Amino acid sequence: MSKLGLKRNKTLTTGSLFAAAALILSGCAADSADDTSGATGGATGSDPVTIRVIAAQYTDEMRPYYDDLVTRFEASNPNITVDVQVISWTDIDQKLKTMVQTGDLPDIANLNYFSSFAEDDLLYTADELVPPEVLADIVPTFLSNSEYNGTAYAVPDLASARLFFYNKTILAEAGVAVEDLETWDGLEAAMLKIKAAMPDVVPLALPLGPEEAQAEFTIWASSNDGGVYADGDWTITSDKNVETMEYLSGLVSQGLTNPTPATCDRTKCAFALFAEGKAAMLNGAIFLPDILEEQESSVDYGFTNFPTNRADGTSITLGVQDYFFGFKKDWNQDAVQKFMAFIYEPDNYAGFLEAAGGFLPATVSAGEALSSDESLAPYVAVLPNAVFYPSSEALWPAVQGEMQQTIGKAVEPGADIMSVLEDIAARAE
Amino acid sequence: MKKLLAGPVPWLTPMLVLIFGVVLWPVFEMIRTSTLEISGSGKEKGFVGLENYRELFENSNLAGAFARTIFWVVVVVVITMLLSLFLAQLLNTEFPGRRYVRWALIVPWASSLIMTATSFRWMLDGYYGILNRVLLDLGLIDDAVEWLGSASTSFPWLIVVAIFVSLPFTTFVMIAGLQTIPGDLYEAARVDGARPVKTYFSITLPLLVTSISVATVINLINVFNQFPIIWVMTGGGPGYDTDTTTTLMYKLAFRSQEIGQSAALSVLNFAVILIFVYIYLRATGFTKQKQD
Repeated sequence: MSKLGLKRNKTLTTGSLFAAAALILSGCAADSADDTSGATGGATGSDPVTIRVIAAQYTDEMRPYYDDLVTRFEASNPNITVDVQVISWTDIDQKLKTMVQTGDLPDIANLNYFSSFAEDDLLYTADELVPPEVLADIVPTFLSNSEYNGTAYAVPDLASARLFFYNKTILAEAGVAVEDLETWDGLEAAMLKIKAAMPDVVPLALPLGPEEAQAEFTIWASSNDGGVYADGDWTITSDKNVETMEYLSGLVSQGLTNPTPATCDRTKCAFALFAEGKAAMLNGAIFLPDILEEQESSVDYGFTNFPTNRADGTSITLGVQDYFFGFKKDWNQDAVQKFMAFIYEPDNYAGFLEAAGGFLPATVSAGEALSSDESLAPYVAVLPNAVFYPSSEALWPAVQGEMQQTIGKAVEPGADIMSVLEDIAARAE
Repeated sequence: MKKLLAGPVPWLTPMLVLIFGVVLWPVFEMIRTSTLEISGSGKEKGFVGLENYRELFENSNLAGAFARTIFWVVVVVVITMLLSLFLAQLLNTEFPGRRYVRWALIVPWASSLIMTATSFRWMLDGYYGILNRVLLDLGLIDDAVEWLGSASTSFPWLIVVAIFVSLPFTTFVMIAGLQTIPGDLYEAARVDGARPVKTYFSITLPLLVTSISVATVINLINVFNQFPIIWVMTGGGPGYDTDTTTTLMYKLAFRSQEIGQSAALSVLNFAVILIFVYIYLRATGFTKQKQD
């Protein structure tokens, strides 16, 4: 099943742009010096306990990472045994739900949403989950995305951002300059030029298939002052969203995209077309270069900001973050907090990022430590304009599930855009 | 009591445990789940009676999926049966290399459904698919067709693949049936001057009825439950356009986060299967034996 943005990655070298990102987001943060009580010492915990961690498999490196982490943790905390299960993105959602349904709760989980668990009052709040010094080190934007009903119930583990990728060779041949891609009108004109110059090339890969349709929609809609959620209300059926889908539908009907976006998944279709030089442009992500490298693609690509149609002319990006959250049990808080604090110790957290590969760090300190990778600079530059999924809404997973399946239908010839959006909006009621 | 423990009970216990643990208990859980409200996180929120069923029946995708399921089952099973009758007749005739043809027929059966479906998925791909290549080279189409891009082309292809994988089993049941027909019946028919068509409809077909009904019912169940082909080739999409009730059930639970509705639909699917099973038992003479 399609997972959210973060799953795809590989090893982008330990970038360090991250730092810069963190700095921008936090408004030059690092005022985290208030050392209140430490949950680091051997406060309580005399009886031996075992905690279970359900962790996401960002890459195959996660298993060795946790093995090493747990060995060292257990050595310094002899009373605590940690059982980490690293689970693929395909299965983790189902696995966790089954555990909840059967009452067999884990102690810590690592997933791309948390709000439905918070709604059911199963989770520790963020300040119960990690010690204050860790909480103070989290990039504030990411932490505020971890709130449900105004309280943070999770801590972000990492994040990613997106940019617009293009094939330099095709653009040059069609006489399109990168500056032409700044606005939607410019983009459409550029696509027409590409189609005229190279009829066999798909000017824009538009993956509205189930894998990541919610990301594609969010990027386009937010570039038009639309989106799924604003100021405490769902805005799925807003005029701006309708206008967005009309624009995309127009591109499809002019033959400027892959012919059937509704069945085009991001990885198998859009990325593959781009990697083979069959598509000129697409909404890419921080981890796309790794994928291109993995597929031994010879495409000469560049990336730039998303084309925009916003009133103020600024360009947005889509930020996606994943979470750690802890399940409330009357015996596990001490152990959970100690283990979480251990993960966020700078060296261990750096190891986590390296194992996960190619993501933006969620802590200010890791951001600082990783600041110098130029390939990540553009992502950092757009982060202040990042749009996030309304992941603090308990209904978001259901809305997302419906959108993944049906939003592509809105760009089919003769589609009733409003009724597609209304059906999705019905999931938010 | 002692006699009972020494007699049938030890022998029956493993079977009873299996039936209760593996069959009846899951059925009970399924029905129970369909009457519960379950939150997006998987937590039970309590008994809601038939509320999930009401929501399910209000789901605008159900009617379409149900109609499509009926069409899907009927078309796939009927065409499979007709083709199998023909193939069985062919393979029941002596000809050089018959053995190899029979082996070849087993291949689609022996390979995993996921593999077959994945192969077809890529053969039908708009950009890379071999089918488009061949049709373009032969000049039969002018532009590449995205075969799985819309239901009007993808659903027929799903049916083709479902028939393709159903043929081997069905054909072999038919061959087995043909081989039970005594040769002297045909000899007698020939002596009486019956033409081949007459022979087929008066002797072969009537004597194949049991094989046909068994194969039909087993195919009904298989095709109704068919998940991998649809899931791999179209995922029920675009939208819900190629969903059957089986794939819709999965999507309700894991995409739409409606576990209760999904459980309600699985109860309905289960009821349909029960009907098929009943027909199967009738067809194989199970109930009749009991009467004897």
